[in-house]
Amino acid sequence: MTISSAPDQALVLAAIEQVWGSMLFATAEAWPSDRAADFETGVQAQIELHGDWNGRLVLTCDSDVATQIAGAMLGLGPDEELPELDIHDAVGEVLNVVGGSVKGALVGTWALGLPGVSETSGAPSRDESFVVSWGDAPVYVQILPDAA
Amino acid sequence: MRALIVDDSRAMRRIVGRILGDAGFEILEAGDGQEALTVLEGLGGPPELACVDWNMPVMDGLTFITEVRKRPEWRSITLMMVTTESESDRIVRALAAGAHEYLIKPFTGEAMLEKLDLLGLLRTSTGV
Repeated sequence: MTISSAPDQALVLAAIEQVWGSMLFATAEAWPSDRAADFETGVQAQIELHGDWNGRLVLTCDSDVATQIAGAMLGLGPDEELPELDIHDAVGEVLNVVGGSVKGALVGTWALGLPGVSETSGAPSRDESFVVSWGDAPVYVQILPDAA
Repeated sequence: MRALIVDDSRAMRRIVGRILGDAGFEILEAGDGQEALTVLEGLGGPPELACVDWNMPVMDGLTFITEVRKRPEWRSITLMMVTTESESDRIVRALAAGAHEYLIKPFTGEAMLEKLDLLGLLRTSTGV
């Protein structure tokens, strides 16, 4: 599938479903809009996308979900622990692969930046994001255009 | 046999390293193209395989491949690009620069082993 405009929610969701399945051996589903999806401290990964549209993809999740995502990606057992640096690296690489899949589905010349990952407090506004599931936990996804 | 994994993601180096390690390779790692050139210069002889990401800080994978291909003493290295860059023009550029194979992320272990088999590296490595 190729899209000739800015990345939209359906395209990004399809990329997330692909990456969840192939890299994390999990299923991603849309999070019900009427279900609470809050958390206090989390991890936020961002990656820039430039082309006919300029902006960034942002993935935000609870710290425990980030740990689980890193563990699934690396095939760790439940008792194996990772340092925070490695958890951030894994979440950033997940978003990097999502971004690559999105970029590959867009028509024209596009460039993907390098992922950046940081701690965050609180979930993004649901008005500016959509939410997918990681097991029974929410993962926020934002498609944010650069400021004009 | 030795394989150099060049990727700025520690997680991805770990995943690729596990696949190649299970296939019998001794693993070397670098976090970008410049560091990979330093690793190569410090070796007594070149590794049989280098798996190279495209988008990395300091020196990207395409530049690294171009630099490797300038050095006659590294001509024997089999170069495989392992990247999220999936557009056909990118694949053509990598192959033109000297990459032997191209694997798009996300990939499965089986897909990587198929590539190694096509390159004639799997049988030799595992002694089958």
